[in-house]
Amino acid sequence: METEPRVTLPVGILGVGVAVPSLRIDAAEIARAWSASARGSLAVPDADEDTLTLAWAASLMALDAAGVRPDQLDGLFWGTTRPPLAEGPSHVFLATALGIDRRAGGHLSSGSTHSGMDALVSAWDALGAGHVRTALVVASDALVPGPGSAVETTTGAGAAAYVLGPVAGAPGMLAYRTTDSLPVVDRYRGDGAFATSDTYDGRLFRDKVFMPLVSRVAAELCRAPGADGGTGPHDWSIADPDGRLAPALARSIGANLISAEVTGSLGDTGAPAAFLGAMTAMTAPGSFAMVAYGGGRATAVLAGSTREVPGARGALALLGAPAHTASYPQLLRSRAQLVSSGDPVPMGVPPGSAAFVRGNLEMLCLRGARCEDCGYISTPPSIHPSCAGCGGDRMTIVDLARAGTVETFVVNETMPPPFTAPLPLAVIDLDDGARVMLQGVSEDAPDLAIGDRVQLVLRRYGVERGIPVYGYKAARPPHQAGVAPSPHQTDAARPPHQAGVAPSPHQTDAARPPHQAGVAPSLRQARNRGGSR
Amino acid sequence: MSWNRVAVVGAGLVKFGELFDQSYEQMAAGAFRAAAGHVDKGFDPREVDAVVVATQRGTLWGQEGIGGNTVPSALGISGVACTRVENACPSGSDAFRVGAMMVASGVHQVVLVIGVEKMRDKSSQEGLLSRAASGHPVYNRGETAPVLFAPFATRHMHDFGTTPEMLAAVAVKNHHNGCLDPYAHFRYEVTVDQVLSSPPVCHPLRLLDCCPQTDGAAAVILTSAEDAGRYTDKPVLVAGFGVATDHPYLHEKSTFLALPATVEAARRAYAMAGLGPEDMDMAEVHDCFTITEILDIEDLGFVDKGKGGPATLDGTTSLGGRIPVNPSGGLLAKGHPIGATGVAQLVECTWQLREEGGERQVAIRNGNALQHNVGGRGSGVSVVNILTRNR
Repeated sequence: METEPRVTLPVGILGVGVAVPSLRIDAAEIARAWSASARGSLAVPDADEDTLTLAWAASLMALDAAGVRPDQLDGLFWGTTRPPLAEGPSHVFLATALGIDRRAGGHLSSGSTHSGMDALVSAWDALGAGHVRTALVVASDALVPGPGSAVETTTGAGAAAYVLGPVAGAPGMLAYRTTDSLPVVDRYRGDGAFATSDTYDGRLFRDKVFMPLVSRVAAELCRAPGADGGTGPHDWSIADPDGRLAPALARSIGANLISAEVTGSLGDTGAPAAFLGAMTAMTAPGSFAMVAYGGGRATAVLAGSTREVPGARGALALLGAPAHTASYPQLLRSRAQLVSSGDPVPMGVPPGSAAFVRGNLEMLCLRGARCEDCGYISTPPSIHPSCAGCGGDRMTIVDLARAGTVETFVVNETMPPPFTAPLPLAVIDLDDGARVMLQGVSEDAPDLAIGDRVQLVLRRYGVERGIPVYGYKAARPPHQAGVAPSPHQTDAARPPHQAGVAPSPHQTDAARPPHQAGVAPSLRQARNRGGSR
Repeated sequence: MSWNRVAVVGAGLVKFGELFDQSYEQMAAGAFRAAAGHVDKGFDPREVDAVVVATQRGTLWGQEGIGGNTVPSALGISGVACTRVENACPSGSDAFRVGAMMVASGVHQVVLVIGVEKMRDKSSQEGLLSRAASGHPVYNRGETAPVLFAPFATRHMHDFGTTPEMLAAVAVKNHHNGCLDPYAHFRYEVTVDQVLSSPPVCHPLRLLDCCPQTDGAAAVILTSAEDAGRYTDKPVLVAGFGVATDHPYLHEKSTFLALPATVEAARRAYAMAGLGPEDMDMAEVHDCFTITEILDIEDLGFVDKGKGGPATLDGTTSLGGRIPVNPSGGLLAKGHPIGATGVAQLVECTWQLREEGGERQVAIRNGNALQHNVGGRGSGVSVVNILTRNR
């Protein structure tokens, strides 16, 4: 049945960002374990990465590209097939870690790989309705396919983020969309199931589900007002559940497929697939289409850019950057599909406890307590009612700098489950003068050194009683594109040393706490810290 | 002028090790009987009028409610006053300090200080490794015990050129001493090569850089200096002591080249004793890891800052060296049953000053010995006790 195109209010794309997990594996390596064959490379998460950490990194990159601060956002619209918590505060965890105002709101879409498009559409409509002026849309996935399933050799991971706003003057634009659906069961995960299953027969799915459904939304998009005279855009990014469907579809509708390279190197990234494949189109003016599929729904979006969209070029570079190679056992362990038979060590302070309520907030926000008297920043605030520098009690809560230098470190080689070795732990002097001790990332374990520059990146520290626990880790660049800005603060409002202008008083050796002066200890220094007398 | 108001009149311990066949109570009783049996002129257990128990972690042996009050009954002196002291790794040495002050106050006449720790009734995973998940809910995740000292090794090596061979020399020396100590957990020699090829535990520390988890108990009997003659003609006097704290978390440390709590505790103890590091004939120091002993001998003033590694290599701290350190084998070879550790070090100092050290006896020239522990998230508190045989 053909219908008249509906009117859709266009919205502007202000900036884009992406994130890719730190590991790659050849699909053939997985298939070999099951006496099968497969092609292509897959982007897969390390044990401390998941859909939320990827969404965080892509979001920061997009915000930075758009020149929008987290506290300027009216909403976070997150689409992920499988949120970290099936029920629970997934959206709030992400929004908090991003520094988005806690009153901003937004929406979490989930349940299928169409969820990324659902998030985009929700933000688009909220902007159209005028309720939201600036929105962050992020689509991310790090799915857990069943071992030995066909879908295991195609499942990748990644994230894409858009900052959306008024169309006037924006470098990019979302112009029009079409959607269609069919009540079929393809990929699914039942209530209580851990891994994603895949029931369809490959050709049945292609001939009776994917091709007809996606062809319909594509054809309808080509009739959109202003869609290049009824022929539609030339460039198409098409989500591809198995690596062969998108080229087949592109051939059948005479489209130029721009997403094949990303699919070939990252696999089917799920919710962000259509957006990741389109990054290349945003490096130059022109129109393009993005097609998402999942859960029996397909949506096509007509988009375009009048000039290079900020972040697009960096996104392309990141998508093509080299990465570490994972073994299949490492991947299974990362996805908690290969687990030790021993009981994991429980956290001393479990999620849900009062201490965790205090601790999780200050960790996600990465806060310190700055002394009004001596300038020393004590971290974390909940265990420092008195200044660790001078003993004073006049403290201001501040956001910590997100980059620093390794003062000293270890690499822990003997870790009980659920920890994985080698695990670096580093004492880091942050650029605002605060000192923290945090875990490092496993990629840095072989050659971490005193004096290395590190960035603080959000990672999943563990899963405790089914609850993912997030915190920052120190990683040498370039592990993640995004380095968190200090949220809630403009340069004008920041103390001078955090704006990177003048050094703070405690950055001079004389007034600085002794560890920052970097010399041998003395009793005088111990007393200067106010603790021992 | 040394303090010298309190005397050790008896000192003893049980052989340290994985004492799977002994309960906490049995170890305590063994240590008490050894200390009582060490009193030259005889000792009736009923003379004890107060007990100070050092047990750091009741949770390690499954009695989370431990308060020290179970010990007098196990010793057959139920009814006596009893208090537990918990002060991290220096629990035993702090219990000794508290016991000495109880005697000096005149409130108690005969005080038993007993350190007892059951480390191996639980597996490593349930025991010390579980601290990897303690502390702040998210900060500090992954901090197993070696993480608390290895950052100092990294920095000490970076700034002073301390080498893995220098760290290994600590283990080689202390294992050698342990061979001469019938009470030590480990009684075998190790070579530098063996240390350097042992499995990595927490870079830059390897397995033989680390002390074992050990069960054990140790006890000393304290009286006033005036009363000591009723028990022995060879009393060892408490010359002085010092306690100091530091910020507990690693990221609050003022330096990774020293342990400021040790520096300050030593300063206070030396001042109270009217003695200096050059007056010591030997020292029992906290060598939970090889790097810790290197920091200790610098922070206690036995060698210059940064010279701990070379001094260990050149034999300065060996049995026949200028300042023998850890003749008992130290925590590395004798073992580290936390609450018992400090008391056992004081037992060793007492025996050495009485020249009862057997094959490992050091030369007693000045008549003074120093005992040291540091702990509490690594180095949040330190205790130094100085003993003397000089009246």
